[in-house]
Parts: sequence; C-alpha cells; structure tokens
Amino acid sequence: MMARGLWLLFALCALSPAPAGAAEPAPTETVQSDVSTREISIQSNFAGIEIVIFGSIDFSHALAPDEGNYDVITVIRSPAEPIVVRRKEQVAGIWVNRAGRTFKGVPGFYAVLGTRPFKAITTEDTLKQLGVGFSNLEFGKNAQDDATVAAYRSALTRLKQDQNLFQEHDDGVTFIGRSLFRASVDLPANVPLGRYTTDVYLFRDGHLISKSEGTLEVSQAGFERAVSLLARDHPFVYGLAAVTIAVMIGLFGWVVFRRD
Amino acid sequence: MLQVYLPIAEVSVNLLVMLGLGAAVGFLSGMFGVGGGFLLTPLLMFSGVSAPIAVATGANQIVATSVSGALAQWRRGNIDLRMANVLIAGGAVGAFIGVLLLRLLRQIGQAGLLISLTYVVFLGAIGVLMLIESARVIHKARSGKPVPARRGSAHNWIHGLPLKMRFPTSRLYISTIPPLVIGAVVGLLAAFLGAGGGFIMVPAMIYLLRMPTNIVIGTSMFQIIFVTAIVTLLQATFNHSLDVVLALILAIGGVIGGQFGVRAGHKLKGEHLRLLLALLVLAVAFRLLLDLVLKPEDVYSIVPQLVGA
Repeated sequence: MMARGLWLLFALCALSPAPAGAAEPAPTETVQSDVSTREISIQSNFAGIEIVIFGSIDFSHALAPDEGNYDVITVIRSPAEPIVVRRKEQVAGIWVNRAGRTFKGVPGFYAVLGTRPFKAITTEDTLKQLGVGFSNLEFGKNAQDDATVAAYRSALTRLKQDQNLFQEHDDGVTFIGRSLFRASVDLPANVPLGRYTTDVYLFRDGHLISKSEGTLEVSQAGFERAVSLLARDHPFVYGLAAVTIAVMIGLFGWVVFRRD
Repeated sequence: MLQVYLPIAEVSVNLLVMLGLGAAVGFLSGMFGVGGGFLLTPLLMFSGVSAPIAVATGANQIVATSVSGALAQWRRGNIDLRMANVLIAGGAVGAFIGVLLLRLLRQIGQAGLLISLTYVVFLGAIGVLMLIESARVIHKARSGKPVPARRGSAHNWIHGLPLKMRFPTSRLYISTIPPLVIGAVVGLLAAFLGAGGGFIMVPAMIYLLRMPTNIVIGTSMFQIIFVTAIVTLLQATFNHSLDVVLALILAIGGVIGGQFGVRAGHKLKGEHLRLLLALLVLAVAFRLLLDLVLKPEDVYSIVPQLVGA
C-alpha cells in the first residue's frame, strides 16, 4: 500500500505543470501554525501549563532541518492593560512609594521566541515594527514622557520577567524537519486571563516573507469562574454570600465544639 | 503541593499553609480570648497576599470566629443588646468611611504603607502597655503584696453629654455620643486593619463607659460580628478585594484551632497569658516596622491601574 501511494504521488508530481528548474518563479513560501491548547481553563489546581506552538513552511526550499535558510519568530501576547509602576524612596527612615508612572498598554503576558538571536535574523527596524523583543515593546502613549520614564520602563520589564510574565528565548524555536518547526512556552500559574494572540513570522535571508496568526483563550472555569463573575457583576450578593458562609462556619464551630 | 488558585487575588497559595495559618491564629485567639484579626492580617501580608485583600479577607474571617464566641456569651446572658445596637450604628458609619478611605489610598498607591503604619502604631502601643501591666502584676504576685484592683478614673465630662439613654443590662444611664464615637472608631479600624478592634473596644467600654467587665466581652464580640459583616460587604462592593476562597480556608482552620486554643488558655494564669500576648503583638509590630525601615529588595513595584482611577 505504502509503495503504491508513493508511486502515485511521484506520478502526480511528474504530471504537475511546473516542474523544478522551469523558467517560472517557484511559489513563495508561506507559514502555517497552530497552538497545542487553544483554550486554557484555570481551575483551583492550576499550577501553570506548557503550550506548544507548531507550524510548517509550505513550499520549503530547505533540504535539511539545519540548513539555515529560514528563520521563525513567534510572539505570544495577552491583552494590554494599564499598569502603574511605583518607586519607593526613604522618607524619615521609612520606605514610601513616592513617584509613579502609568503605562497605558502593557501586555499582561508576552513571550517571544526565535530560531536564533533576533538581531541576527533581521534588521532592527523590522523587529521594532513587529514588536519583537522587550526593548521594542510599545507600552502605550505615556502622558508624562520624560527622561526618567526609561528607568520605570526597565523596572517594569524586569519585574514582569521576574514573574515569568515576560519571556524572551532566542533559541526557543526548533526545526524538526525540512519545513516543520515547534516552540514551547511555559505559562506560569499567575497568567492573566483573556484572548491571547500568537503571531508566527517567517524570514528568509532577513526578509519577512510570511505571517500566520492565531489565538488562544485563557479563562477561569467551573467554580472559580462562577466566583469571580459573581464578585465582578454582583459584588453585594457576593459579599452577602461570603458573610453567610462565615456565619455558617461560626455556627458549625459552636455546635461541634460547644462546652456549655 | 496542594496549590489552590484564589479567584479574586488571582494567585496560587498552598492549601495546607493557609489552613495552618488560620488554625494558628484561631489557636491564639482562643487562647487569649481575642478576635485574632490583628494577627491574621499581618500574617497574610507576610505570606504574600496584598494588603487590601488581606484586610478585606481578614474581616470576613472574624465574622466566623466571633459568631462562635458570641453564641457562648449569649447563653450566659453577657450581651447588652441596646448598647450593641448603638455601637453597631456608629460602626457602620466608621466602616463606610474606612472603606472609601482605603479605596482612595489604593488609587494613590499608599494603602499598604498606611495599613502597615497604623498596625505598627496600634500594636506597638498596646503591646507595650500590656507588657508593663502584666509584668507589674507578675512582679507583685511574686513579692507577695496584694494586687490592687484596677479602677478607672472618673469621667465626669461623659456624664455631662446630651442624648442620654438607659442601658438596663449594663446598669448605665449615659449619653449615646461616646458609644457612637467608639463604635465609629472601631468600624474605621475594622475596615482599615481587617481586625475586629476588640483591643480598642474592650478597654474603651471598661474605662470610658464603665460597663461591667462580664458584659463588655460579650457585647464587644456581638457587635464585632455585625461591624465586620458590614465591612466585608462594603469591601466586596467598593474595593473588590474580598477573596471568599481564602476566607473559607482561613475560617475552617480558625474554628478548629480556636477550640484547642481555649483549652490551652485554661492552663495558664491571666497575667502570664497577657505577657505572652504582649510579646506576640510586639513581635508582629517589630516585623512590620522592619519591612518599612529596611531597604526593600526592589524599590520599584508594579500594580494594575484600578478601574475608575
């Protein structure tokens, strides 16, 4: 069966109108990708998850996996949110939050992975345009743009990195065949909720030749979802429920352990 | 292991650590006959829960412990309901102010600092006073001299205030203004510190209102249920800082730990208990002070901007 299939395939190739070496240009390579888990639900036992982004290059010209013709960069990011960065200073012997800067649009989670160091893949301008690398991230228009903002910016990046919410892996994408590649990212237990975008960029000789976009959804599920929805939409009812539960526990404790 | 994801705090905590924390605070509160909120909230903060969530969740936990305590007092007829109502009325106003103040402080990034500072001042002052008092009693008991009964000084100005009311259970005929003010201060502290405020309420009722001591404990416990319930509701509504899963874990640990604490407390003398509590209170205050004074690991911090800020 197998041999017969191959034979058929060969025959089809031979019949195809654009044989190799013809005068017409070969079709341009395109990239396709997907995520291992499109929906991640956070329940009470959630302790982080590893996701795999995989894809392939159609019409790949590479003859072996390590033939360095192609480069892939993938960016995973969650919706942007306003973040306040504060700086403590010593006032009368006590460390107090003094000044702060608000960054209007900071991705809650941001991971960028590539086949090799980003600067070796393409130009700084292209990286900036695509938002690849921490230094090329746009954090939204800042009302108080001044010289000190750079210090707050780098503190923000560093703190996000400490929480594993910002990740940069320039060896995170590996080819496992002529056209197949994969990249894995660890989402920590504190990942923000929301619809994430997964962008995969394909480069050849430093030029961006194809792009593939996908999404993945991180949401709370089951009991956790019910609790946080109630707390957000009906906070008074939620508070009332919390008080009722506390009273019940108190009553239970009294009934079980009473000594009078 | 046994990590539990907290839906509101949006962090994972260890179930056993939190149960143990609840049980330890419950044990201490049962042993010393105190609400325990003033220990629970700082301990939550030490274990990485943010100050506003620690405060709101602490208040909810006190509802559970004071229900158990107040029921026992109720059966002994130790609650002055009319006095409790006046205190709760004042407490509701104080709680409302406290919750709004906390919201404002959160927006300008000073909530954690103010909560810590208030704790350091209150715990420091109360710890020192209790330490001196219990050390004096122990010293006198050792030297064989009789210990003179404590007597509150006369507060004539309180009896001159208007809006007098009769409180038959406490055998008092006094103005409602002092209990309203005391209630408001305790409500404010309950919102701000996530503590029932018994450590302010009890001395105030004994020395300012001159209520009988046996009625004081029961009435204080009874009104704390309502004030902390009001605080819980307000924190959930205005600050979205109440984590019901964390509160549940802490309350279960607390109720169990409390029972063992009561038994341990019976084996110790009153002044020795007070000395131990004083040392504990001072240790917590010292730790909070250290966190304020020592250079933080990172002078920068990040928080999501509050909605409506």
